[in-house]
Parts: sequence; C-alpha cells; structure tokens
Amino acid sequence: MIYSPFPMRVVSKREEAPGVNTLKLEFVREEDHEFFKAHYRTGMFGLYGIFGEGESTFCVASPETRKDAIECTFRHSGRVTSTLANTDAGDIVTFRGPYGNRFPIEQFEGRNLLFIAGGIALPPTRSVIWSCLDQREKYRDVTIVYGARTVADLVYKHELEEWKRRDDVRLVLTVDPGGETPDWQDHVGFVPTVLEQAAPSPENTIAVLCGPPIMIKFTLISLQKLGFEQENVYTTLENRMKCGVGKCGRCNVGSVYICKEGPVFTAAEVSGMPEGDL
Amino acid sequence: MTRILLKQRLDDCIAAWQKAGYRVLGPVKRHDMSSFDEVQKASDMDLDLILTERTIKDHFFPQTEPLIRYKIGRQQIDSETMTPPEIKRVFFGVRPCDASGLAIDDPLFGWDYRDDYWFRRRENSVIVAIACTRADDFCMCTSVKLSPDSTEGADIMLRPLANGNGWQAEALSAGGAALLDTVSPMLQEDSSEAAPVPVVAAKFDVEKVMAWLADKDNFESQFWKEISLRCIGCGSCTFLCPTCHCFDIQDEGDTYSGIRRKNWDSCSFALFTMHTSGHNPRNVQSTRWRQRIMHKFNYYRGKFGVNSCSGCGRCTRQCPVDMGITETLQAISNLPR
Repeated sequence: MIYSPFPMRVVSKREEAPGVNTLKLEFVREEDHEFFKAHYRTGMFGLYGIFGEGESTFCVASPETRKDAIECTFRHSGRVTSTLANTDAGDIVTFRGPYGNRFPIEQFEGRNLLFIAGGIALPPTRSVIWSCLDQREKYRDVTIVYGARTVADLVYKHELEEWKRRDDVRLVLTVDPGGETPDWQDHVGFVPTVLEQAAPSPENTIAVLCGPPIMIKFTLISLQKLGFEQENVYTTLENRMKCGVGKCGRCNVGSVYICKEGPVFTAAEVSGMPEGDL
Repeated sequence: MTRILLKQRLDDCIAAWQKAGYRVLGPVKRHDMSSFDEVQKASDMDLDLILTERTIKDHFFPQTEPLIRYKIGRQQIDSETMTPPEIKRVFFGVRPCDASGLAIDDPLFGWDYRDDYWFRRRENSVIVAIACTRADDFCMCTSVKLSPDSTEGADIMLRPLANGNGWQAEALSAGGAALLDTVSPMLQEDSSEAAPVPVVAAKFDVEKVMAWLADKDNFESQFWKEISLRCIGCGSCTFLCPTCHCFDIQDEGDTYSGIRRKNWDSCSFALFTMHTSGHNPRNVQSTRWRQRIMHKFNYYRGKFGVNSCSGCGRCTRQCPVDMGITETLQAISNLPR
C-alpha cells in the first residue's frame, strides 16, 4: 500500500561532522531489497523514518553500484533526524522509496566529470561520484571540488583521503575563510572562487553541482564564466516533502514537482523555473 | 418518456439500497455545519439546500486518515498497514459541483503511484447527483465551464421535475445503472418535464485568467501582494474546497504505540513549505495565495488537463475576511490587457 515504508535495520552509524551522521541500513525483508535493487538509480531520494516521530526526506547517499545496503547522511535538526541519530546498530527504522528521477550517468560516459559540492550536499554528490568511480573506465578526467564552512564540517573525511590518494581523481578541497585549522594544507575560500582558480575545462565536461541555494546561485555564475553550457550542468533541488509521490502538494517550484520530475535538473531546466518559488 | 423517481418513493429506495448492502448518505443539517452524513429515511435529508457547507470530499479524503498502526516494544517494532473499510455507499443528492470535484481529483490520486485510500472509497461509492434549481450569489460553476447540471463525476443524474414531485433519473455509469436496477419497481415511466436549471452568470472570463497566469512576467506582479493583503492564512478555503487535496503525514501516539496519519494540510500555512534550514520558498502570504491560484488554474491543468476548481464558491462564501478565489479571478479577468 502507498505510504507504507520498508522496515530497515541499522547496520552501523558514523559521525561525519559535528551534528552530522551517516547510517548504513539493510533491508529486513528480502522482497523489499529486491524492489530497491530493481529501482534504485543514483540521484533518487527516500523518506527515512522512525515510528512515533515521523519521516524526513533526504537522498540515498550510496551509489547505484552498491545496492547491498542504503547509506544516508543527515544533520540532526528536528524530531525525526535527532531520533535517527540516536539509533544504534540493530535498531529498526523505516525507508520509503526510492523516489524521483536520477542522474543520467550513462549519458556522461566518455566525458570529463566535474563534481562540485558544498557542506552537507556532498552525500548526494558522493552517490554519483562512486557510481562513476566504480566504473572508472567509462569516464575521462574526474575532478571533485568540495568545500565546507570549517575543516570540522567536511563530511566523508575518510573518503576525501581516499580520493586524494587516487591518481585518477583530482580533489580540490576548500574551507570558508576563518574555517581553517593551523595544519590545513588545502584551499581557503568560497567554492565559486576556488572553482574559478582551479579552472576545470568545460571541453567535453559534465558538471554535477549540489549545495545550499546560495552556493548554487554563485557557482552557476562561475561555471558560466568558465564556459560551461547550462545543458551540461546538473544540480538537485530540495524542498519540504511529505508524500514523495506527487500528491501532498507542497514541493512544487512553479509547475514542477520536485518529488516526481526532480530532484535532478539541468541548470537550463532550473533557469526556466520561477525564481520567486525557489 | 423518461424514468421518474417520485419523492414519495424515496423512502422505499433508501430501504432497498440498504437491503442491497449500501450505506446511504445525504445532505443533512445535523451538526453545526451542513454536510453529508448517513440517513435512514428521506426526511433525514435537506434536499433543498443549495449546497452543504462541507463537501463530500470529506468522505473520500477524510480530514484524518489512519495509514499505519505501530507498536514500539522493547525488542521490536510492529507495524500494520491500515486500509479504509470496504463499505458500499450511495451519496444521494450530491450537487454537480461536488461530484465534479471528485472527478477532478481522480487523476491526481491515480498518477504513477496509486492512492488506494482514495480509490477504494471511490470504487465502492455511487454518486447520485441532483441538478440545481437554485443558485446563490457565490455559485460560479459556469465561470469554470461547468453548469448547474454538469454530469462529471456522477453515476446517476437526477433532474428535478417542474411540478416538484420528483426527479428524472438517468444512469451515467455501470455502477449507476446497477443502483437504479435495485429500485426499478419504485421508478415509473413518465413524460413530466424537468425544471429549468438556474441561470448562473459567469463571474469572470476563465480563458483570460488562464492566459494571464500563464504569462511568466506576472508571477512577480505586485497584483499578488495587493489582492492577498486581507488573507489571514486560516486555511478555511482549502478545507472547504471540493478539490483541494494537500496533506501532511504525522505520527500521533504515545511512547509505545500510535497511528501514522494522513491529515489535511493547506498551502495557506507558512509551515507547509518551510525547510529544516529555516528557508521558506513561500515565506509570505502573497506567495502562498499565488500558489493556490496558480495550482488551481495553471499547474493542475498542465498536468491533468482540467482546472482544479468546480465552481462551488465555498471558498468565497465561507471566507472569514470575505475574500476567496472569485474576487482574485474577477480582478485578473478585469485587468486591462
């Protein structure tokens, strides 16, 4: 029945940054897992919940190349996320999904990839990154630009180390001015500025951009300066959701339902939406 | 010759339907507000009402709908999906605007992911509509290209006789025909004429309204701020609307057990779109009012080919600050081109 979630077992919990956790969830019922494996593609989202508290919407942070479990990363700020953060291995939570559209990564094959993420928006980007890195031979140069407010706020630190060590990935890390620590070796500056300095070539390149609205706004300008066509820039939009399936009536931007037609859009599609509804 | 149902046989019909396993609901003034509720005999109903204050939507998309019952134990959490009761129902005396409202919402609850909470009730219900013979100043069905005798969403259409003794009965669906068959002994062939439908003057030019809304330049128009100044964001218009379908999902219970519910929500409320971060895409009342109008007369049409309004006029009739959709659409319609 619609709105009925899958029970999920917490396998492990990791603290990514102050107030940010990643949960690894496995399916309790085999048929639910089969459904997920048949339908999940990178970019899709789900509603994560705990009975008694409710449901919250966020992305599936694990890639489509690894469907044994679901990883989700979230900041604890409300009732549901705080309770999710207090779970331990073995606890039962719920998942509804996967919903929404996806990044068309097979169309990215043979092209250079530029990933740009800000703060807690690395998880959705990370799903695409690993989906591509797990099939590394299909793509050309891979550049990842990631920034956070402070060094502590960088999420997936262990994976950042891994990407830094790989010679087939160019990782550009930055923190906002004032967010650096004495031993910080990477960039200091806002993502759009650092991106312009790194100056990745727009030639045969697809850009995937996730971040807070203000970062997206200025990064799109920087990408334009670098010569990226709007059709080659993909981003995600997020809005408050309750049903996830196009019925509860709140997540639309203009006539576009984020839950059904999104959350993945090209910059060209976003520029056609009414700005006053974003 | 048409089939006629005489008012004096209505009690027999209700009894026959009940015997056939139907629950019969009709317009009643039983509570503070007139609404559709279960009836046992014709005199329980107030068929002279122009329109009940509440819509029949309440019986298909209830104000609160239990989805899942859960129990939180020491070792495990048990949950059980709840489904609406399988009850066969006859809705007698539905106004054409309310019946149309159901038909307007069908594609929304059906697209892609099917909402069986809605469809199980729809499939187990027979809508017996009665064409209007009276209208009030708020009725605006003709403005949205419906009429006092529209048949959308109805399984049976009853047209009142000019002599006031009963109705011409016409089945419009298989379900309607089957329901009429159960009362065929109570019907008679007759050539009595139907009463004329009332003249409901168009209040605005809906084509002009739709064209103005479709113009992207008007999205940021000062018009929205001015027209919505009076709106107090109470949500009454959305709750009394036969087509408004927005909802919230909430868990209600205590520490150990409870029910996850689908509750009515409203685009009039600030919290409706508020992000966790505090950012709110529709952060002032004018943007929320714009959403309501755009949703009904632009977005919904783009997705499902119909406007999300059946012209019942309740939003205006019952607005505590005397505002409603009609005034806005009239104002748009009267804007100089």
